[in-house]
Amino acid sequence: MSITEAKNYPASRPTKSTLYLRSCLPWQVFRFIIINLKMTVMILKSHGSKKEKKL
Amino acid sequence: MRVLILGAGISGHTAALLLRRKLKKEHEVVVLTPNAKWNWIPSNIWVGIGDMSAKDVTFDLKPIYERAGIKFIQAKATEVFPEGFEEKKNFVRAESTEEATFSKVIDVEYDFLINATGPRLNFQATPGLGPEAHTHSVCTVGHAEETSEAFKQLIEEMKLGNQKTIVIGTGHGLCTCQGAAFEYLFNLEFELRQKGVRDKARIIYLSNESELGDFGVGGIALKTGGFVTPSKTFAESLFVERNVDWITGAHVKLVESDKIHYETLDGENHTLEYSFAMLLPPFGGVPLKIYDKHGAEISSELLNPAGFMKVDADYTTKSFEEWLPDDWPKTYQTKYKNLFAIGIAFAPPHQISKPKKNKHGTVIAPAPPRTGMPSAIMGRIVANSIVHMIKSNSLDAPYTASMAELGAACVASAGANAFKGSAVAMTMYPIVPNYKIYPETGRSLVHTTGEIGTAGHWIKKLLHFAFIYKAKALPFWWIIPE
Repeated sequence: MSITEAKNYPASRPTKSTLYLRSCLPWQVFRFIIINLKMTVMILKSHGSKKEKKL
Repeated sequence: MRVLILGAGISGHTAALLLRRKLKKEHEVVVLTPNAKWNWIPSNIWVGIGDMSAKDVTFDLKPIYERAGIKFIQAKATEVFPEGFEEKKNFVRAESTEEATFSKVIDVEYDFLINATGPRLNFQATPGLGPEAHTHSVCTVGHAEETSEAFKQLIEEMKLGNQKTIVIGTGHGLCTCQGAAFEYLFNLEFELRQKGVRDKARIIYLSNESELGDFGVGGIALKTGGFVTPSKTFAESLFVERNVDWITGAHVKLVESDKIHYETLDGENHTLEYSFAMLLPPFGGVPLKIYDKHGAEISSELLNPAGFMKVDADYTTKSFEEWLPDDWPKTYQTKYKNLFAIGIAFAPPHQISKPKKNKHGTVIAPAPPRTGMPSAIMGRIVANSIVHMIKSNSLDAPYTASMAELGAACVASAGANAFKGSAVAMTMYPIVPNYKIYPETGRSLVHTTGEIGTAGHWIKKLLHFAFIYKAKALPFWWIIPE
């Protein structure tokens, strides 16, 4: 496999609004909260007491 | 009782702090590690671009352990006698790495031993690879500082109008931790834009992954916009957006001062000219020899050929189609019930991504990642098991954390700036796919998520401060989860 040149590759590209939202402060504050909640769920699923079960 | 921990990385340090917190003072917790400093390795990528200094990501272990009531021995373990030898019960032989007693051999007896020695950075696997040869690294803070200096020099040359080819990725077909290469790549690209010299660089990602977005976990599938989309699609989109070229399925065979020689999954050989390269090495286990009570070496019984320690996994050789989530270890106990191996030190039963071989027989297969959150959780459950074993005078390790049941939260930085920066924030559950429970993609589509944005950068920064606070065992450190 040789080099894939990014400029000629037919990948999906973000629209202007997607790019804007990625650094839009209010939207990112909201996403910060959502991502933290998702990660908290992941943490609880992965090392909560349920996983530390006694035989 | 004495619990001896080899290594003070993410898994070993987590285990040491938890053991000290949960065991009575009559029991001793001892950490034996060759490094005087603790390093928050996930932030080394920021040291490597000059955004942070070494002191931002490291601190001295000795005062922290003194305050916590943990005995600290600065030494490199070389031999383990899990059955004891001659007059001594189980012990570890080590060589001091402290300046005053350098190379002095010491024996440390133990009742419980945790091998959390982390990786041996095997730059020797590829001729010309590594900071002592031709390429840069961000694997240690020292490497990252050197890389930062070289990167600054590169920017100066680009400001003078010189065109450069920058190659970031993996330096061997069996590397792991592609996420670190991915982070360094996009942070470097971001920095070049900030410095106004992006047009002077051709950036190429060179990876042993068979496709972008694999990350050594076979890629992930995300439910978004009414579709279940593979991570490959998102990764390719980001590479195209940032104008970064890529080479996948590559095994680097030789690095010269200005050329990288590599072969690919299609069996072709290629040469790539470069000006600056940061290529990660493959990992091996830290060299340890194991002896039985008669002094006969039994290393091959406990260590796999790469030097990782075998634990309670199913190491039977199987084809990819026969791999099962149950193959993965649960308690991290070895055949010696008082000896555990965690973090990078334990031997995974097999890869997670499908291993591939080219027509010349060269295996190009990302090794499974087991750093960060999974490492810390292994430290936690092994500490809990040892506490239980000591209190109940039993040899059963009751706490489990199989990577087939654990999830992971990962934040991959793609530019360090509070307003313009970004990171890919991902959650994945479980780490090892389970096609019986999740027949479609192997993982939960509810708990496997990912998005890019400035919020991801804030989270990466928050994790940097939170985990350094926790590692320093500052007040209420235990509230911060692994």
